[in-house]
Amino acid sequence: MLLLELYISMFILAAATFFTGRFSRPYALVVSGFYFLAFLVYSISQFYSLNGGFSAAETILISPYYGFNFTLQVSGFSALLVLLSLGVIFVAIFISDSRHGRVFFGLEMLTMAGLVGLLLSSNVLFFYIFWEVVLIPVYFLIGIFGGRNADSVSLKFFVYTHIGSVLMLLSFFSLYSYQYNNTGTFAMSLSSLVTPSLFQSMPEFWRLFVLFGFFVAFLVKLPSFPLHSWLPDSYEIAPYPVTIILAGALSIMGGYGLFGILLPVISIIPYAFSVTLVVLGVVSLIYFSLAAMSQLSMKRMMAYASAAAMGFVTVSFGTSALEIQGNIYVSNYMLDITGGMYQIMVHGLIMAFIFASLYYISRSTGKEMIGSLGGIFREAPILSSFLLAALLASLGLPGMAGFVAEFSILAGIYPEVGFWIFLIIFGMLITASYHIWMAQRTLFGPYNENLGSIPDSGSASSAILVILMIIILLLGVFPHYAFQLLSSYARGVI
Amino acid sequence: MDTSLIAWFVFLTPLIGFPVSYFAGHVRRNLSGIVASASIAISFVLSFALYLGYTSPVESSINWFYSFSYGVYVDPLSISMALMVSFVSLMIHLFAIYYMGKDPNRHVYFAETSLFTAGMLGLVLSSNLLEFFLFWEIVGLCSYLLIGFWFFKPNAASAAKKAFIVTRVGDMAFIIGLAILYSTLVSYFPDPLNIQFLVTHAPEVMAAIGQTNLYIVLFLFLGGAIGKSSQFPLHVWIPDAMEGPTTVSALIHAATMVTAGIYLIARLYPLYYVSGAETLYVLAIIGSFTALFAGLLGLVVNDIKRILAYSTISQLGYMMSALGFYSVIQGSAVGFAMYHLFVHAFFKAMLFMAAGAIILTLMDLRDVRKMGGLWKRMPVTVSIMFVGALTLAAIFPTAGYFSKDSIISASYLYMTASGQWYHSLPWLFLTIGSFLTAAYTFRMFFLVALGKPRSDLASHAKDPPLISLAPLMVLAALSAGYGLFQADFLNYLGGSYSISVPLGIEYLPITLALIAILITYLLYAGERWKHIDLHKSRAYRVLKNKFYMDKLYTNVIAERAILPLSGAFSSAEERYNAGVEKLGRKTLDFGTFLRRLQSGVLESYFTLMILTSAVLFILAIVLGVI
Repeated sequence: MLLLELYISMFILAAATFFTGRFSRPYALVVSGFYFLAFLVYSISQFYSLNGGFSAAETILISPYYGFNFTLQVSGFSALLVLLSLGVIFVAIFISDSRHGRVFFGLEMLTMAGLVGLLLSSNVLFFYIFWEVVLIPVYFLIGIFGGRNADSVSLKFFVYTHIGSVLMLLSFFSLYSYQYNNTGTFAMSLSSLVTPSLFQSMPEFWRLFVLFGFFVAFLVKLPSFPLHSWLPDSYEIAPYPVTIILAGALSIMGGYGLFGILLPVISIIPYAFSVTLVVLGVVSLIYFSLAAMSQLSMKRMMAYASAAAMGFVTVSFGTSALEIQGNIYVSNYMLDITGGMYQIMVHGLIMAFIFASLYYISRSTGKEMIGSLGGIFREAPILSSFLLAALLASLGLPGMAGFVAEFSILAGIYPEVGFWIFLIIFGMLITASYHIWMAQRTLFGPYNENLGSIPDSGSASSAILVILMIIILLLGVFPHYAFQLLSSYARGVI
Repeated sequence: MDTSLIAWFVFLTPLIGFPVSYFAGHVRRNLSGIVASASIAISFVLSFALYLGYTSPVESSINWFYSFSYGVYVDPLSISMALMVSFVSLMIHLFAIYYMGKDPNRHVYFAETSLFTAGMLGLVLSSNLLEFFLFWEIVGLCSYLLIGFWFFKPNAASAAKKAFIVTRVGDMAFIIGLAILYSTLVSYFPDPLNIQFLVTHAPEVMAAIGQTNLYIVLFLFLGGAIGKSSQFPLHVWIPDAMEGPTTVSALIHAATMVTAGIYLIARLYPLYYVSGAETLYVLAIIGSFTALFAGLLGLVVNDIKRILAYSTISQLGYMMSALGFYSVIQGSAVGFAMYHLFVHAFFKAMLFMAAGAIILTLMDLRDVRKMGGLWKRMPVTVSIMFVGALTLAAIFPTAGYFSKDSIISASYLYMTASGQWYHSLPWLFLTIGSFLTAAYTFRMFFLVALGKPRSDLASHAKDPPLISLAPLMVLAALSAGYGLFQADFLNYLGGSYSISVPLGIEYLPITLALIAILITYLLYAGERWKHIDLHKSRAYRVLKNKFYMDKLYTNVIAERAILPLSGAFSSAEERYNAGVEKLGRKTLDFGTFLRRLQSGVLESYFTLMILTSAVLFILAIVLGVI
């Protein structure tokens, strides 16, 4: 009930942002805020019993014979991600300067509508369309409003992710045609295409081809080593609100692909694929952490931190595939599957928090290079405390949301990865080191007098940062509800 | 009232005090210290209520998430620790109201110390190891924030970073230990990280996961304890941590937080002793070696706070090694370690606060060589310090004598009980350690108290107001008299004192300590020490460089290994990025080339057509199609 109405009205109102003139910022704030609350109420009414299974599908028939329908469905996992995306986009709009004009806000709202559509669609056709819809406004946001080299960076972002989408489309087409071969009817819903039985009925080559396509598409989006080179440039060049959207909201697409699309077939993922995923995850974690340590720009460093944190997601998916096939005790693999999903969600929140604090610091000081700051705690204690809190959240301090995810993943993957777990610990140590080192060089020490006097956080910026921090703390101290929702979703799907 | 509810409020009160004292400080700066102290006083009263109302262990847990629970576990060990933490913390808070009285950010200070106390009390009362770890990290975070409290000092900022990263190494070992313990136990027991379950079912746990796994888990836990309690080889952060305010050093880096590592092992002690003698030997040898090692370093340091910091490391070594002597004193090992922990908390908090009073009046002068003659100028403070020094050096009849000598006696029995030569090392190390303790303590004390003032500041020193020294006097009374309660204390923790060693062995440590005091008196009470030039001695250089451990970590591992590695990775990353872009550009160029072909000029199309047909024709002939 209500899902279709909610979504379609949201899409229309989001598109209408292009016609709002100089009121585009307040308009966009009101619309995104309203839909955040509306989805919050909807999700609570849907999932108050903490059973994260799928809601009833709501469909608009388009061409039923070919399976083309507009179908929306929500699970505990996608509901949390919808809330995250709406919240993150609200933050992004909040920190957007109204001088950017209506096109900027229109594109942001379009990204939001596309992202939510992607998360809710259970029909492959629209899933794919939304996957692309998300891409295009972001391409323009980076290309038009980005910093130096914006056009080449945005092109790189577009081409890179588009290669992944095309492979994914081919995978869906293969599934679509094999499904027709098997049953003689066309079907395009995810629940009939992504099933173990359909995969098993395919010849081995096509099965691997389909999985390969999916994995490339999702690993590009995560991103995972070695498909990441769009990420640092895009995050750095994009204006702060767009970085927040990229790091906080768009980064869930890859993870949603793994845990939202591929989870039903996790039991038939070939051994070599799972092992590759685990290795790529560990390599990502270490490689991005070490690369981050030498960065001179805070924004670029945090871009790498974001990529490193996604290594946990890849590892948890690969390991749980191995564990399910290796008959490991159910509590073990459910823990790292849920931890992986939790990580996707909290990573978005933490990144939004980090980039929002970096935005306010750069607005206040005009600087974003580590070397040009120093000791700003003296002049801007509140702002500095927020950045410190964000950094601590990002390095996985217990009490913050990231820890719950990281610990669940660590405890869940141990039976399968054994002592390779020490590599992950090494990555986590490096992560802690460069976060703390950055705090030392920017926030503490003697004040860099070249900065002159800088304003501290105002009440509006403090309000938005406090809200983000409180949500992160709540998810870290009381993870039960979200965790239960996610694990019951996963139990239902596998 | 319900026991578990009281236990919750033992740590919730200062947790609530954390924001309240911060915001109270916004209204009136001085209010924050009062609010923080009041919240801790309430915790102390509640802990005392727990003590009075205790009949049998109480455990109450609530599901946290997945199969992890959280709650409180009240038993003699946690009650006694909660009493100590809240009491010592209260004393230090009261002194800090005076000590931090002029700092413009004292509301931040008091908010952070009450969060710290909440974290420590939460850790003590935790019923689940994951919850324990949560508080463990809160305590670590507060330590990071408080070391860097004077953030504008470059030394403080870098010491805070060092403390965080070094303890993080231990924490990561701890967390992996938790992950392994959980994932190997979860298929046998529903709530595998529950502390009460682990300690009451230690043999079953070992049977379930196997001895090798248990070894690994316990060693990883020990790694966490080594980081937090700054044992060798992760001891390097504590001396640097002295850059924080002195009351922070008293609270965190002496009396309470660093004891968390010892407490962790004491808490899980049944697991340690069922796992076998090897694990216990590791405890004994790490502890006793640290005691010796830090004692040596303490001899050559001139910063009054750093001397005390090394003495902390050394005394923590005594506690750690006491836990290793299970084979001779059984369950009393926990009591021995905890008793020394208590006594140490009393006198070390007091010594640090006395040093703080001295530093305050000397305008932040910390070099003992520039002090001297302070006993005449600050009679009360230095007398208190004298009591502390006697207790630290374990001179009869102070409490330190009882707590430390029983550990050394136990180590002697440990040696005689086994014929192996390596079992004699703990006794040897600890006995030499007691000589060193007295030596560095009284070197410091005589340099501070006797002789003539060696700087202008020292000649104008004077006592702080007596009322602010009241907490120190309370602690001094405890340090001097707590020895009376040794037997009761051990009984309360379920052990007993029943050690008999030959008389010569019994009196050996105190004799050595007295000799050390005599030597230091001869050297340092007057001006003789000025004539000793050790700079040419190789041993002195090694000690002065702290056995090159700091250099190894900072200059070799951090600067020669990790940073270049990171540089290599980031330049590889740049090359990889450039490669991807080049590939992209080549693709674009190829597109441009194809586009040029579509020039719209009829002649070139015609030429291209002829050329293509010719090539195809030749190809067909070559392949033999035609």
